[in-house]
Amino acid sequence: MFTNGSKYLIGVTGFSAVVLVLYIALVDGAVGGAVALASIMLAVGLLAGLALFNRDGDVQVGDVAAPANAAPVGSSLWPLVTTVGIVAMGVGLITHEIIFLLGLTALVAGFVEWVIQGWSESASSDRKYNASVRGRLIHPLEFPVLATVGAAVIVVPFSRIMLAISKTAGAIVFILVGCIVLAGGIVFALRPSLKKTVVIGLCAVGAVGIVAGGIAGASAGKRDQLVKAAEEDHFAHKECGEEKSKYFDFNAEAKVSMRSNPTATIEFIDGKLQARELGLNTPTTRITIQKSNNISVIFRNKTEGEHRLTLHYGEKEVQEGVVEELHTCTQMIEEGDEQILTFRIDKPSIASEKPYTFSVPGVEDQSIEVFVP
Amino acid sequence: MSKRNSTRMSTMTRRFVAGAAGVAGIAFLAGCASNAPQDTWQPKGPNAQKIDDLQKPVFAIAGIVGIIVFAAIGYAVIKFKDRGQPIPEQTHGKPVLEIGMTILPALILAGIGVFTFQTIFDLAKTDDTEMVINVTGQQWWWEYDYPVQEQYGITDPIITSGQLVIPAGTKVLLRETSRDVIHSYWIPALNGKRDAVPGRVHTLRLEADEPGIYAGQCTEFCGLSHAVMRMEAVALDKPAFNAWVKGQLSLAASPAEGTLAKEGESVFLNQCVRCHQVNGLKKADGSPAIAAPEDNVWSGAAPNLTHLMSRNTFAGASWDLLTKECRKDVWEASSEEFGKKYLAGVSEECLNQTDLRRWLRNAPAMKPMYADPTKLAETGGKYRGMPNLGLSEDDIDKLVAYLATLK
Repeated sequence: MFTNGSKYLIGVTGFSAVVLVLYIALVDGAVGGAVALASIMLAVGLLAGLALFNRDGDVQVGDVAAPANAAPVGSSLWPLVTTVGIVAMGVGLITHEIIFLLGLTALVAGFVEWVIQGWSESASSDRKYNASVRGRLIHPLEFPVLATVGAAVIVVPFSRIMLAISKTAGAIVFILVGCIVLAGGIVFALRPSLKKTVVIGLCAVGAVGIVAGGIAGASAGKRDQLVKAAEEDHFAHKECGEEKSKYFDFNAEAKVSMRSNPTATIEFIDGKLQARELGLNTPTTRITIQKSNNISVIFRNKTEGEHRLTLHYGEKEVQEGVVEELHTCTQMIEEGDEQILTFRIDKPSIASEKPYTFSVPGVEDQSIEVFVP
Repeated sequence: MSKRNSTRMSTMTRRFVAGAAGVAGIAFLAGCASNAPQDTWQPKGPNAQKIDDLQKPVFAIAGIVGIIVFAAIGYAVIKFKDRGQPIPEQTHGKPVLEIGMTILPALILAGIGVFTFQTIFDLAKTDDTEMVINVTGQQWWWEYDYPVQEQYGITDPIITSGQLVIPAGTKVLLRETSRDVIHSYWIPALNGKRDAVPGRVHTLRLEADEPGIYAGQCTEFCGLSHAVMRMEAVALDKPAFNAWVKGQLSLAASPAEGTLAKEGESVFLNQCVRCHQVNGLKKADGSPAIAAPEDNVWSGAAPNLTHLMSRNTFAGASWDLLTKECRKDVWEASSEEFGKKYLAGVSEECLNQTDLRRWLRNAPAMKPMYADPTKLAETGGKYRGMPNLGLSEDDIDKLVAYLATLK
């Protein structure tokens, strides 16, 4: 009943189970090891099941065993992929971990495909039957992986292109690509009899174009504005004075999700600061916010020149005897522009001798008091 | 089919029918409960009334459709039961009937849709707001803070928890958010549900027609003690609300020297002030005692206890601060008397010392929380809920005496 291979694998499964039980009993709280042993047990158990099911892949016991003098099926790509994987792993070890990981992926994929192909080709003398056996086993793995790779081939290069070109060009490219895809879809729908080779050729040209564009985009690097904004790292130094920040990517920061949930909108109108709280229609110079919670407010500059909104929210002893003022701020905002400021205050107002306030640096007598109950 | 199998089948059918009838009977009887403060069919304010005005006709239409469908199925099952008669002529499709049976439900749904959208837009309005209250959910209690609104005498922000106090007949807008996970705020008698989501501010209109207490329940699963994350909305008439505001704006007074409550204040300063703020409480050196829940609690907040005894509940409205009799007296008070009884707060005679002491003795034993100090790795050493402080009975006596002074 049991084949030689399945006996061996069942034995290993049983041994793994015993080790797992002993491990759980003797090693207290080591979840990682237990999970690893359980995984081994399940994997070997699965292999045992497979070996039992296909009779160790022994074609001599099958109903339609391949004759010994059957013609060879043909060449296989997988030994080559496996070799490339091994080489890439070696290269990756001394160059970059990405190459190592790609090599590992190629090795695993090549090995699995090679083994399955080898087994299926000797399942019977009927090549069609062999192909269907292979498909049944490997398609549930192949299709999701290929779909993911296909999506990545489009998404990753396209994102590189969008990061490299200017924001205006990005919008144009987006519209153009969308139009081309739509037009292609319409043509394919209206001409269902179009030759398969034409369809595949068009898709291949598109994919190659995107990949080439992506390589070019990655080589060119991100657009200057993004690089400078990252270098500037405004929120790390938090000077919050009147200094100017030129490169901040305003549109990228002001996300729709944040805009839909501000606790208040603070406007600097003709030199006067006022706040409008969510749900209250009358402007105010005092707002109340929740303690220990991420709060977003919109700052809108409606005064000539560039201004920023600064929040002062008490002091903190960073070392013994060294007290640092707590503040955060928006960038310098041009007239007619706006920006979200997100902050969190952990101490109630009564913890500070000085009231918490919003103010505009360089502008006297204009502030909004912030209450934190 | 063998006779034995047939007998077994009929026994199973009888059991199934009996079980279904039992469940239906229990459901029917539960619907008859008179003391059901979270009954969705008894609106007590205009927003809940709007929902009720929509749901009743929809239920009626759905009921009629249901009866017709069941009757048709019953008729077909009985009339065409297999009695050995020949199979009737098989036909394919009946366009008029099929189109009619598509258009009719579509029309019904479209009609319901019109009124549903109207109700949704009405309930989403914020431009007629008369009062704003911030509502913040966290595991497993609700915090309410009232921004400065001088027309109601709120000259400084007010903070409270457990019971939301609102003026009756006033359009109140809740601005909801959460400090940890998603919760959902629901006072069935006053409006529908609204999720409180971290990082977002959602609005919910509330208005109570009459003074009284309206019970609610968190309706988004939020962890171990979700089931006991309760809330109560207390509607007061305008004079009573003004009096409540005045009381909430005052600072806590220190108990007289030499009293048990004064000793309790020391215990509070040593143990409780790590998380719980009492406005007006001072340390021995005279500086204000500021709680630091952000250092000890995962959500970064713990209930402010300045006016604990002005509330009727504690621990996320899960337990009553009032004894059963006193609670009944407040809940069943007439609209005219309600304000006076609620504002009386928790007197010494009415204090539910049993539950309060149990809570102080071992809070996690009453309300399941992530408060085991040996298992806080996931939250960086911070508690979710109140830990067992290991207080002695002596300390508990002192603390209860002190807490009773926080009117």
